[in-house]
Amino acid sequence: MGNHDTFDAIIAGSGHNGLTTACYLARAGLKVLVVEKNDWIGGAAVSRSLHDGWTYSNCSYVCSLLRREIVRDLELPRFGLQVIPFEGGATFTPDGDYFAYYSDHDALHREIARHSPRDVDAYDRFSQAVMRQCRFIRPFLLRTAPDPTSLKPRDIGELLYLVKKANDLGAKELGETLRFWTMSIADFLDEYFEHPLIKAHIAGSGIIGTGLGVYSPGTAYVLLHHYMGDVDGAIGAWGFARGGMGAITQALAASFEEAGGTIVRGSGVEQFVTSNGRVTGVALENGDTYSATTVASNMDVKRTFLEHTDRSTLPGDFVTAVERFKTRGSSGKLNISLDAMPEFPAAPEGARFLSGDMHCSTTLAELERAYDDWKDGRWSSAPYFDMLIPSQIDPTMAPPGKHMMTVFVQYAPYDLNIDGNRSADNWDETQRKAFADTVFDKMESAIPDIRKHIVHAEIRSPAELEREVGLTEGNIFQGELTFDQLLFNRPVPGYAQYRTPIRGLYLVGSSAHPGGGVMGAPGANAAREILRDLGKGKAMPDHVDEEARP
Amino acid sequence: MTQPQTRFDAIVIGGGHNGLSAAITLARKGKSVCVVERSLHLGGMMAPEYGLVHTLYNLRPTVMRSLGLQLDLRTLPTVSLCPDGDHVVIEGSRARMSDGSPHPKATEFAKLHRRLVRFAGLLETIALNTPPKLSGGLTDTETLGEMIRLGRLGLGIKALGKTEMQEFLRVLLTNVHDLVVDELGDGPLAGSLSADAVRGGFAGPYAPGTVFTLLYRLGAGGNVGVPRAGMAAVARAFEDAAARAGCSIKCGSAVTRILVDGDDQATGVELADGSVLEARAVLSSAGPAHTVALAGPEHFDIEATRRVRSIRAKGTAAKVNFQLKGLPSFAGLPDELRGGRLLIAPTSAGVERAFNPVKYGEVSEDLTLEMVLPQINAPEDDQNLSAIAGFVPLEHAAGWTDEAREALGALVQRRIEAFAPGFASLVQSREVFTPADIEARTRAPGGHWHHGEMGLDQILTVRPTNGMAHYSMGVQGLYLCGAAAHPGGDISGLPGRNSALQALKDGAV
Repeated sequence: MGNHDTFDAIIAGSGHNGLTTACYLARAGLKVLVVEKNDWIGGAAVSRSLHDGWTYSNCSYVCSLLRREIVRDLELPRFGLQVIPFEGGATFTPDGDYFAYYSDHDALHREIARHSPRDVDAYDRFSQAVMRQCRFIRPFLLRTAPDPTSLKPRDIGELLYLVKKANDLGAKELGETLRFWTMSIADFLDEYFEHPLIKAHIAGSGIIGTGLGVYSPGTAYVLLHHYMGDVDGAIGAWGFARGGMGAITQALAASFEEAGGTIVRGSGVEQFVTSNGRVTGVALENGDTYSATTVASNMDVKRTFLEHTDRSTLPGDFVTAVERFKTRGSSGKLNISLDAMPEFPAAPEGARFLSGDMHCSTTLAELERAYDDWKDGRWSSAPYFDMLIPSQIDPTMAPPGKHMMTVFVQYAPYDLNIDGNRSADNWDETQRKAFADTVFDKMESAIPDIRKHIVHAEIRSPAELEREVGLTEGNIFQGELTFDQLLFNRPVPGYAQYRTPIRGLYLVGSSAHPGGGVMGAPGANAAREILRDLGKGKAMPDHVDEEARP
Repeated sequence: MTQPQTRFDAIVIGGGHNGLSAAITLARKGKSVCVVERSLHLGGMMAPEYGLVHTLYNLRPTVMRSLGLQLDLRTLPTVSLCPDGDHVVIEGSRARMSDGSPHPKATEFAKLHRRLVRFAGLLETIALNTPPKLSGGLTDTETLGEMIRLGRLGLGIKALGKTEMQEFLRVLLTNVHDLVVDELGDGPLAGSLSADAVRGGFAGPYAPGTVFTLLYRLGAGGNVGVPRAGMAAVARAFEDAAARAGCSIKCGSAVTRILVDGDDQATGVELADGSVLEARAVLSSAGPAHTVALAGPEHFDIEATRRVRSIRAKGTAAKVNFQLKGLPSFAGLPDELRGGRLLIAPTSAGVERAFNPVKYGEVSEDLTLEMVLPQINAPEDDQNLSAIAGFVPLEHAAGWTDEAREALGALVQRRIEAFAPGFASLVQSREVFTPADIEARTRAPGGHWHHGEMGLDQILTVRPTNGMAHYSMGVQGLYLCGAAAHPGGDISGLPGRNSALQALKDGAV
């Protein structure tokens, strides 16, 4: 006989969004259960020890987007979350030079001038433009997207808020905003910069995790994901969670448990149980069943409804829309144990930028070709990658003197094409190894002896990400961030406010507005909606529009 | 002998169809207008002398009426060719196989096509007017009219009903590939919609924004037509309408300067022979950058010139005309269907693959083609085939040498031969226009069909660029009236007409 308990609310999945929702609900006095299919918690924000003495943030790997309101509300620092900012980054060229990015304004100017004096002025105009867009977008992150087809006062109010914010920009700036939201990152950068290396360095941020290329419209705004975050209030800064990304979900879990919440590991939800269009609980893979009239799914929308819900209880149009929701896996990941800090011959002695994000793609055309390969179901023959060695500033990640390296690779397909047959099953050990070799071959232009330092490497294709974390097709954002899947369209029109066709069942993961990244915003927004439905709206802390503050 | 007139109410630079539309619109309101055209003939990109345009699909009856255009059009069916002979025939919202059997996705296609035409119709109120200004706020009386129009659009969207409204808002900004393949599966039917959506543009069907370009194309209902008297009748109709309206026309006169006085007011133009034509309004159908150069960049603020410089206009469509000594037959296609608009775009994914190389200045082996046999009723030994080929780069990685141009012609010929065995043996000669050739002949920026990419960041209130969307370029009395202006390219006459109406409304003419 399994367990059969009753809770006020059940959260399926212990990713950062699921735990965020769980925390807010528990703090509002609800009896909350989180169920997790893996033996560990964290979803894609985890620290895993897969090789003796080393810790991998084996999915997400850097931190900046996590909303500070959430950090504050849930007292995450008290529960051990510490984010260490890192400095700068660099793109290495095959001929032994590099472009370094520094957060220090003067250092950055000197570095840009070394490559292209004219781009110094361009950079200032560029960063002002991006910061203006960040200021515009940030207040919307912790708000529920209005439904433009609805005449409810709240939706109209939210639409008016949007119109007011847009109107406040003024005609010229609004025109620029419309362009920014619809442009490609390549076109946007072409408007400012002349040096290809500088453009390539920045452009990577526009394509990470997306099934789009640098020339695809709609990639300029993905750049905001890189610039709108902060570390301890330092806007645009990025950092490492001390102890790996799992520190975020560990802190959330601790905060949750202190508020009286329960977490059950090792068995996932088999089925969301419903009766007469209302959720009544969950049945787990191990046979346990738990009852609750409020259930929140941290799984993506496809997994939630196509695999774990009885389809006959759902409207046909909704099922079709969910089937057509695009979750294209486009990224791979290498997590590497190094026996020493490898040498970067191009970098000057003691270069600070080695602690930041490093790349080897030097032109926009090279990035675009990487995308063309992916469209055909192949990994990029010259991939873009984002590599970092966090153990330089977070010694907890590797044994003394040794290092941990994380390499995010764009692009790698989910359904790998072998001789015209496209299937995720094609990702076997041989293919994974060949994929890693492609990355290392290119990496050698920056780190010639990288291979000899490797003690252990975990190679992850989108297929592994799906299998282990549960992200459909290995899409890191739980769904593409394209116009048809944003705002009131996310995940599907008419269901963009965290509610679903099944009463009491909510979506709280990145499939919901405002989308992916370790941000916590979908989880927090969903908690607000859930509490409102339960008549406990006042229990949710107020998130004032900080941008509007003087 | 009377002195030629040198003072007009308005001068129109460029005798392309938009220049003529602007001139006709002003002249029909009783204004004296002079059209100045650089070449010896009118028509711009549609001039029969170039043979670039081979069908009409965006010329609305309302525009034809308001310009007084007399054209007798007949509708062409579309035939989307398939390598295995399973060709698809499309007439309006009906799709069938070329052997007469029903298309398995005919119902889905009819529903999708009707829906897209309905969505396109909603955008009509925007296409037929100056795009709404963003300044002034919601309470300004000047913007009130625009707000009412927007409100009407809003009501139109609301009237769709909730489900259709949701679908409209979902697909409007998205990519055409997912939309059509989700509904129809991939094949010649999906390929035809994807190819139509991206023809002439610097985008493949996977690119967001390509549903919008498809809707733009469907604005006049989606039918493709040709005049019964042949395409040359189109330029003639515009020319006749201009003459009837009383426009003065000066061909063979290049404008070397737009004259602007110290108060940043346009005062006329200077021609290559040194003579001056005076007018308080100058409407230019030249590209925005060329127009700024003619007026002198000193009359524009630095941000405006920077923006104009950044306008994306890289043509991707080449034109290849074959002179034939007989009518070609397409494998598996009944001969009576070859008089239609023939597409080679067997899959939507294939259209995207054809787009890939153009980004690097290369040409795909598997080009997408749109072909017509314009003289199908002429004697069998005097035939030609007109082909628009995509995607072809403006700047060839190895330069557009004669060899490169020849290779492109040969490539198009091979592509046709694959679907029409024996085609090569019919070819007497061929003429190739790359986007670079088109730019050189017509001065269309980048040889681009629309004088500027119809990307989401270059349409409506930001077309051709932010701050210039109301036809006015910043200098008083100077208006942009070509395809670079709202709503965009194709033979529609709308930018010219709208620009003239705006100039009249502003009291500039």
